[in-house]
Amino acid sequence: MERVKVTLAVNGREVEAWVTPNQPLSEVLRTDAGQTDVKYGCGEGVCGTCTVLLDGDPVNSCLVFAVQADGAQVTTLRGLLEADGTLGALQQSFLEHGGSQCGFCTPGMVLTAHWYVGGHPDADRDELRAALAGNFCRCTGYGKILDAVEAYAQEAAGGG
Amino acid sequence: MEGPFPRDFEEKVAGALRYADDWALPGMLHGAVVRASLPSARIVSIDTEDARAVPGVRAVLTAADVPHNVIAEEASGLGLDPVVMPVLAFDRVRYDGEPVAVVAAETQWAAEQAAALVAVEYEDLPGVFDPEEALTPQAPRVHAHGNRYASWLLEHGDLDAAFAAADVVVEETYRTQHVDHAYLEPEAGVGWIDGDGVLTLRVSTQVIEHARELAEILELPHSRVRVIGAYMGGGFGGKEDMTVEPYLALLAWRTKRPVRMVWTRQESLLARQKRHPFTMRYRTAATREGRITGQDIAIVGNAGAYPLLSTRVMFAAAVNATGPYRFDAARVSSVAAFTNTVPTSAFRGFGAMQVVFGYEQQIDRLADALGMDPLEVRERNFVRKGDPRATGEPIDTEVGIGECLRTATAALGGAPALAPRPGRRVGRGFACSMQPYGRAIFFADRASCWIGLEHDGTLVLRAGVTDLGGGQAASLAQIACEVLGVSIDRSSVHIADSALTPLVGGTFATRQLYMSGNAALKVARELRAKLEPVAAELLGAAGDELAWGSNRVCRSADPDHALTMAELARAAEDRGVMPYCHSTFEAEVGEFDPSTGRGRSFPDYTHGAHGVEVEVDEETGQVRVLRYVACHDVGRMIHRQRVEGQIEGAVAQGIGYALSEEVQIEEGVCASTLFADYLIPSSLDVPDVVAIPLELHPGKGPLGARGVGEPPIGPPAPATAAAIADAIGTRLTQLPMSPERVLAALRAARA
Amino acid sequence: MYASPFEYARAGSWAEAVERIADGGEDARAIAGGQSLAPMMMLRMSEPALLVDVGGAAPRAIERRNGTLLVPALARHADLEASAEAWKAFAALPEAAACIGNVRVRHRGTIGGSLAHADPSAELPCVAVAARAHVRTLGPSGERTVPAAELFVSHFTTTLEHGELITHVEVPALREGEGCAFAELVRRPGDFATVEACAVVQLDAGGRCSEARLVVGATADRPLDVTEAIGALRGEEPEAAAEAAARAAAAAVEIGPSAHGSEEYRREMVAVFARRALLAAAARARGEEDGTWSA
Repeated sequence: MERVKVTLAVNGREVEAWVTPNQPLSEVLRTDAGQTDVKYGCGEGVCGTCTVLLDGDPVNSCLVFAVQADGAQVTTLRGLLEADGTLGALQQSFLEHGGSQCGFCTPGMVLTAHWYVGGHPDADRDELRAALAGNFCRCTGYGKILDAVEAYAQEAAGGG
Repeated sequence: MEGPFPRDFEEKVAGALRYADDWALPGMLHGAVVRASLPSARIVSIDTEDARAVPGVRAVLTAADVPHNVIAEEASGLGLDPVVMPVLAFDRVRYDGEPVAVVAAETQWAAEQAAALVAVEYEDLPGVFDPEEALTPQAPRVHAHGNRYASWLLEHGDLDAAFAAADVVVEETYRTQHVDHAYLEPEAGVGWIDGDGVLTLRVSTQVIEHARELAEILELPHSRVRVIGAYMGGGFGGKEDMTVEPYLALLAWRTKRPVRMVWTRQESLLARQKRHPFTMRYRTAATREGRITGQDIAIVGNAGAYPLLSTRVMFAAAVNATGPYRFDAARVSSVAAFTNTVPTSAFRGFGAMQVVFGYEQQIDRLADALGMDPLEVRERNFVRKGDPRATGEPIDTEVGIGECLRTATAALGGAPALAPRPGRRVGRGFACSMQPYGRAIFFADRASCWIGLEHDGTLVLRAGVTDLGGGQAASLAQIACEVLGVSIDRSSVHIADSALTPLVGGTFATRQLYMSGNAALKVARELRAKLEPVAAELLGAAGDELAWGSNRVCRSADPDHALTMAELARAAEDRGVMPYCHSTFEAEVGEFDPSTGRGRSFPDYTHGAHGVEVEVDEETGQVRVLRYVACHDVGRMIHRQRVEGQIEGAVAQGIGYALSEEVQIEEGVCASTLFADYLIPSSLDVPDVVAIPLELHPGKGPLGARGVGEPPIGPPAPATAAAIADAIGTRLTQLPMSPERVLAALRAARA
Repeated sequence: MYASPFEYARAGSWAEAVERIADGGEDARAIAGGQSLAPMMMLRMSEPALLVDVGGAAPRAIERRNGTLLVPALARHADLEASAEAWKAFAALPEAAACIGNVRVRHRGTIGGSLAHADPSAELPCVAVAARAHVRTLGPSGERTVPAAELFVSHFTTTLEHGELITHVEVPALREGEGCAFAELVRRPGDFATVEACAVVQLDAGGRCSEARLVVGATADRPLDVTEAIGALRGEEPEAAAEAAARAAAAAVEIGPSAHGSEEYRREMVAVFARRALLAAAARARGEEDGTWSA
């Protein structure tokens, strides 16, 4: 299989990778870009652990071929860290509310919640519950995840 | 607890924690498993030539390449297991998905290609897929010695007299299904040969002690195999048996190269062990006042094709089958049957949770039969300290289950969450449970821990505990830090390394808080006792006048003059008192006689009561869970948020078990290996669970804590069944309670 | 698991895509969002030798042109959900789009891809047939317009020629007095449908049904137009007649094998969801409900 060059802007950093067309974006992010905060959970686009924002929209990075993403902006969980490497506000909220247990769903969950609250700053708990329905968690029962996202959303709305 | 937060949790939310498949080594190969495509067949031949010809392939191994082709777990602890499980099938395959060969290649792609090209010629053999059919004499044999396996019989009291004295007998058969752990991290690991020729594996496992079994398989000295447990993306019992380990070990040993292996979600659903489906026949006798006189219970579990931990699962089922209720007499039999289906083994609740679906519904039926309130029937029969189990042993700690039930009932009180809607019916149900924590007593369980102060006064803890995400490592740090007055951010915990950390036994059976927690408490207290004379001398005080806190030691009466932990550590070393300790906690020991069914079983139990409100769609049979409360007596809470997290998560799994989850196996063949078809609950399927941990009666964990990892998973299914019955007027006896089954029950009730 | 090896090319226009696929021969396929095709490839159920990426071939803005909602084939499910024009013109379309998969699938998957993929359990084929939509295509033989009702043949099989690509979907906007709705039974939110129904109901001034259409999906190998079976609705008040009509529709549909439930159960569910769709459509026709649109 011939390799082709793909250029991605991953969390603002330019990454070049020589890939075969059948390599999923998730794998190229994990291996070539070192983004182990993109997880493999099912490879079917169902579980949500491989969620990344592709040009700002949430996608299944396991179901996008890396060649399709050439030239795109990619945001992973680490992209939500502050410039000094400290936790972003939503990440901090997950930590404080116990929204992460084993942590494997956390990258996709936090990214999806961050993206959704960004577009729906007034979302209530029911709306947040619906927004996260495509990201599975097997540890928490979702309550503490929703606590974390709700607190963050209220903070973001209240604090402006 | 306010911050600082345990570092592993901070790393998780930052995306920095490394899981097993995040590790890459220079020159690493990629492994893949070749799996059987039939549930029962003789292997005529295996042709690996085409597979070897794939560019980049470095090894294609079959049974002939395994030095000692036996996964030997002595699961019972009582020397009962006659059946062995091969690492790679050699003469025949016994279930769909059984490993027959293993491949390593320079790329994952090449490994998959080669795996697909291993040509196995099979000759179909008759198979048996239903456990009850498997126990009949004419059934095809899964193993030469027969299909009956791991049979237990517990008898206490005069059963005939107990039934004769009864005014009412209720009888029913309950059935549960195959379910998958469905943790989000599939099985994964890397293996390499490290310094001094030690075969080293870093894997997602609950049990680093498997290093010894791996050494046996490779015929290596035990000292030359090392297993490092990575932080797990969930386990729930599914990483208690070995998963990728023997295959990684074989490939790394044969190729002398680092190897990584990650199972796909689809092969995990196909072939990794599941929860035992049970068929449970219950006969329960009671007086007209609602007092239970006799319990006659027969349980058949589907073990699948190999033993794994079936012996223990069926033992836990038998011991717990009578639930948290008294009886004059009980007879409980449990047997595991081999079938040509995927093996079953440990899964959160471990045999003690399937039976909750049986014993709780029996109480509800009894209430129906007597025209009594089901909660009242429970209150009249709850076990108390000193009451005998079916094993004859007494319950030896106080039981707070009545208060749990009253608390749950009060919490679910008030108006329904939704106004009544046409075509929908709302119902409420309750269920109680008892779940052991700690291993069966006859294992003489032990856990060890090392603790030390560095020169700067920071605390180091070493324990072989594996971390499933329940905060196992963090809890140990918290316990030790509390004893020594060191803040969490001044501590480090090194865990899960079979070569470097004292062994604690794996993380399963809700045993880590009990075992490692007690070990951490014990070793921390020992270190404090060791350092106390040094501190007392330097502060001019008596040992019992000292206060330990905020990383300092001082006289309680004189907090301004304090020694820092750094000063203490150095002063101790100067005096030849080394500021570290190693210690072993030994669980209580007892005997159990399998021939009589008498003796000691589990160290202790955690009790709880759940209440649920559901809405049933009369037209479709869909069940929506509206409200959920879960109350457990946890003895003492080490960390409230983590306790609540365990309860809420277990309830969600229990709701999936109750309503939607099932690995469908038809004639031994897995009907779908897609994650899309394995219906774990989403955020829209679980309401906000109200977790109410109570600190009622001290248990046997550190500081009086009771284990809470498994207990909350039992009640959701029977509580939901009771709520559905309340809504539609009839009880379901088979899991999952799918819309189609609920609708059929509703129709039957109307007819 | 990996997809089998393939070559990859991007097409800057539909014409270029058609040309490249024609050059690539039988084993060439178009890919847009890839939310149907990529999973099939990862599971090796589809093994194209050449993938022509049409994701950048044309704009994806949804517009209203007179009486027609013109949906570019590359419009994503999320675009439909968020389109005020779509909710006004044919609410069942964005309503169904919102039921597809999860938020990630909806931000990547396209209407053209979904229709061309022809999964019988998918939502959009059912709606397209009920809407009497047409697909505009470009292929080796040029442009043509195909009624959605003539598009679906069987599982993953359409009447499109090899290399013929859907460029637009034309959805006739509802007329005065008409309402439409989509309803489905799913095992979990976002899962493929166990049964699904899309209804269009027109009411006369007296609130009686003057015309009604019904299409049922997920039961057979393609969406089934069961409009004939609900003929008794005509001239009746929907609330009085929907139940019987839905039962007639359920009796008429073909039910194939499924792991999602017995034939009997699914037939019964067709009756339930057909009735729910008919009544919801009638309510919208009366202007009682504006759909669930909120953007």
